This record gives sequence, C-alpha cells and structure tokens, in this order.
Amino acid sequence: MMIIETDRLTKSYNGRGGCRGITLQVPEGCIFGLLGPNGAGKSTFVKMLAGLHRPDSGRASVLGLPLGRPEARRQLGYLPELFRFQDWLTPEEVLRFHGQLGGLRPQETHSQDFRLRIRDSLELVGLSDAAERRVGGFSKGMQQRLGLAAALLLDPKLVILDEPASALDPIGRYEIRSLLKRLQGRGVTVFLNTHLLEDVEELCDEAAFLYEGELLASGPLRELLSGTGDNWRFRVGGWLPETLSELNDSSGNALLRLIDSDESGNAHLSARVTDREQAGYLCSLFIRSGLTLYESGPEPNNLEAWFLQMVKSRQGGIPQ
Amino acid sequence: MTMYISVTFKELTRKRVFLVTLILTLFFLVLFAFGVRELAHTVEQNQTSPAGALLNKMVFMVLGLFFAQFLTAFFVLFSSMGIITGERENGLLLAVAARPLSRWKLYLAKWLGHAVWITVYSTCLFVAVVWTIHSFAGLPLFAGDLLRGYGLFIWMPLLLLSLTMLGSVYLPMLGTGILAALLYGFSLFSGLVGGITTYGGSPPALDKALLLIGLILPTDSVYRRGLYELLGGSDWAGLALSDMGPFSVGSVPSNSFLLYTAGYAIVLLLLGCRAFSRKDL
Repeated sequence: MMIIETDRLTKSYNGRGGCRGITLQVPEGCIFGLLGPNGAGKSTFVKMLAGLHRPDSGRASVLGLPLGRPEARRQLGYLPELFRFQDWLTPEEVLRFHGQLGGLRPQETHSQDFRLRIRDSLELVGLSDAAERRVGGFSKGMQQRLGLAAALLLDPKLVILDEPASALDPIGRYEIRSLLKRLQGRGVTVFLNTHLLEDVEELCDEAAFLYEGELLASGPLRELLSGTGDNWRFRVGGWLPETLSELNDSSGNALLRLIDSDESGNAHLSARVTDREQAGYLCSLFIRSGLTLYESGPEPNNLEAWFLQMVKSRQGGIPQ
Repeated sequence: MTMYISVTFKELTRKRVFLVTLILTLFFLVLFAFGVRELAHTVEQNQTSPAGALLNKMVFMVLGLFFAQFLTAFFVLFSSMGIITGERENGLLLAVAARPLSRWKLYLAKWLGHAVWITVYSTCLFVAVVWTIHSFAGLPLFAGDLLRGYGLFIWMPLLLLSLTMLGSVYLPMLGTGILAALLYGFSLFSGLVGGITTYGGSPPALDKALLLIGLILPTDSVYRRGLYELLGGSDWAGLALSDMGPFSVGSVPSNSFLLYTAGYAIVLLLLGCRAFSRKDL
C-alpha cells in the first residue's frame, strides 16, 4: 500500500519557485528520502503534504485520504524545518499542548498515562534532564529534539521530517538515525527531507530527486544508484596535456575525466566503470601508456556522485 | 477549542505582559482613586446643588472609563497584533497547524484564548473604576445599569480583538498594530467630534462621515452606549451626558446598532477563519 501518493502536484508563488507536476508514491513502512539542492522545491512539497500549503493543481493523498484532511493529520507526525516552540513553556507543557491539538481532552493530557508518555518521549530524544526548563533557553539542537518528540508523541503511522538533523552535532545525528531505524522497525513510515546524503544513504529504502521544482528521479535507492555504475579515482605521474585524449581512445566505454594536474606531471583522474575488471583494465592502460600509477580505488560516496551527476546534467555541465 | 486559554495565560504571565500591565493599571487606579476622593471632597465643601454634585460624579465616571477603555484597547493591540503573521514569521504556527485541527477551529481557539484574558482584565478594570467612584464619590449605581454597562464595556475590546486578528492574517505584525491603532484612534476621534457637535448641531456631511467611521470600527459607539447605560440610561444619563464637552454622547447608539456590532464581529471572525484556512504557512 502507498502511504503517500501525489499526482501532478503543483505549487508556485506568483508563478515562480515551488514545484511542478510532482507524481510520487511512497510505500508504507519504508524510509523515503527527498533530495535536491537548495531552492529545488522540497520544502514546498513537504509543506503541501503536511497541509500547510494549498496546491495550485494536482491531487495527493496521505494515508489514503485527500491532502489536508484532519483525519489523516491525526496519524501524521511532522517536524518542520524552521520552527519554534513557545519560548515561555516547558517541554512538558509543549507536549501537553500538542496532545490537545492532536485531539486529546485537557483532562486526558493531565492523566498519569499521558505524563508517562511525555516522559518517554522526552527520554527518547534525550531531553529528560531538561523537562522542567523553559524552551526559550534551549539550543537549536534541543529545539529540534523537542520537535521530534512532539512529532512522535501521538504514535503516528507516518512521520514527515524536514531537515531533522540540521542543527544536531554528530552524536545527535547518530542518535536520530538510530531512532528512525527503530521507528521503521515498528512499522512507521518515515519521509525524510534532508541535505545530509550520508543519512539518506544509510537510512533510506527509496529516494526522490527534485531540481528546480521538477522531479528528476524516484524509486528504490539501490536502483537509482545502480544507474550510475561505480566511480573510480586514479592518481598518476608522467601526465602530459595530450594524454587524456590518447587514453580515452583506448578506454572503451569508461570515459576518463581529468580532475586536476600540475606542472610536475601529477594528475587526478576519474572514470565511471561498470565493474572492477574495467577499473583494472584502466590501470593497465595507464601503465602501458607510460604513466606511473600511484593510487586507484572506488569513490567512497556513490550517492554524492549521483547527486552531483543529477545536478550537473541539468546545468549542462560535465559531472566530475 | 479551549487549549489556547491556558497557553495564552502562560504567555501573558511568563512574558510579564500581565505583570507590567497590572502594575501600571494599579498605578493608574491609585492615582485615579486619590483624584476622585480629593475632587469629591472639594465638591462637597463647595456645597453644590444635588443635581450639580450628581453631574460632577458622573464626570468622574466618564473620565475614569474613558481612560480605562484606552488601557483595554492597548492591552488588546499589544497582546494580539502578532497573533497570526507574527507566529507565522517566527515559525510557531508550523508545528501547530499541521495538527489534526481545522484551521477555522485553530483561528477561533486563538481568538478565544485571548478573549478570555482580555475579558478578565477589562472586568478587573471596570470593577475597580466603578467601585472607586461609587465608594469615594458616592455615585448611586443600580445592578441592571451596571450589568448593561459592564457587558458593553467588555464588548468593545472583543470587537477590537476580532479586527486585529483579521488584520494579522494579511499584514505583518507592525502593519497590523498600526492599522488597528489608527482605526481605533479614528473611532475615538469621531466620538469626541460627535460630542462637540451636540452643542451647536452638525452639518449633514459631518454626520455621515462620523456614521461611516462608526460603521468601520464601532468601538467608540459601543463605549458610549455602555456609558449611557451605566449612568442610568434615559433616567439620568440623557441629561448629564449631553453637557460634557467632547465626552458628551450626542446621539445614543441604538439597539439596532448594537445588533450591527454583533454582526460585525461575526463577519470579521468568519472572514478571518476563511482567510486563515486559505493561507499558506
């Protein structure tokens, strides 16, 4: 079952920005990553899913219900990107308030059960020690943790997180990643809008790529990345300016690209190869061409390469 | 719908809005009580006629409530001018509006959260002013008049709140504050001009202009009708309130006009709910 389905969803601001014709499906139970550079329309798309923005055209359903329906939002946890909680409240009071906004009666939010739930939520995001402090004194990271606690408070089936780790330190990010994995284990679907590619790479089953308001790619992450092949890097000596064209004449379908070179003949090269054997062939080609091979190996972050390739292909440049 | 009552109270108390307002209000009330006591003593010593003495006591009431309505209006303006746009700009509304609550309910909940505490403050102020005049100057008051006057006194800031909230859906915080303060000022000014015209009549064009301002923001008309009711309606107030310079009530707003103000508030709230429901946050 698809927990989010959009059909040509469009939103612009006086004819500019936003996103256009987004058709996307998010399966239930997965962690889905939404990627794209700044200004790609990711936050606009996320805000439409959360019912904060009204689409100009197109259709969408969240949890099987049309966009913006309170019944769907009852099962939705949302962490906005640039948000604040009431400075004058404590985390406990914020969560109690959100419990009431979520449909609980005031007396229910003061019950022993709900107090325990608040305590558990704060413990889950590492804010137990700050339960009595006013939110106004919180750091950005603590506010983000509290936002996550509020999003998870009412046991949602779907969690939409807009840059959930942008203000967190490495430990905080690790904790959030562990938490999201645990949520997935409990059957919760997580929709993640993030700039942190390592989070997507580690967590997401599926991803989509937005660029200048358009959806360029979407699907299982493994399939998206398989289209890129493996990127390999090489460091060689004895480099001359004309060497690149000579190498590419013999390199088959593995197009070599020069990253940088210096006057002493050292150069960095990059190539996308279909398998390790092709990388080995390139190494032998360098040696046969009289170059000295100092280093070779696969690039560590395929998602980053894919991301850059997507962006640069749209900009008309050659991906490095 | 009631969730904002407690949150607004905490905002007003923890941000010390209530504390500062109460301290300054108390300062005003002490000064006012001192002034009333001294003036009442002077009037007594001058052995003015009973009618003259009654008129003087009514003047105290008019002045006291005139300043009190200022205080309530400022309380409304400063506490509610950023109620929508301000919270949208600083990100407070994002997590709230994504909750399973219709936007119109959220709008009314925020209105209610402020209305309750505005009513509490206005009630305290009204009771304090009226009690001061009654106790120190000995102005006779009757329960029916008091209730009618009180009802209209608290209705005035609620009208202003409805207007300020609607402005806040469209305009930034500062713009909303300026708009609401200017409209309130126009309404007050038109009331003062209307008071002056009771002496020598007024040209029809001026009457129309005053009526138009009263229709755009009827706060001053409500205040004047409340004053009229509090001071005994047609029994006494008609006599006294026509001889107070700019504070005179030239023409008492009718019951139909009060019905208009009820419709006015409902329309403002409906427009606010509609606009807020369509607003991108």
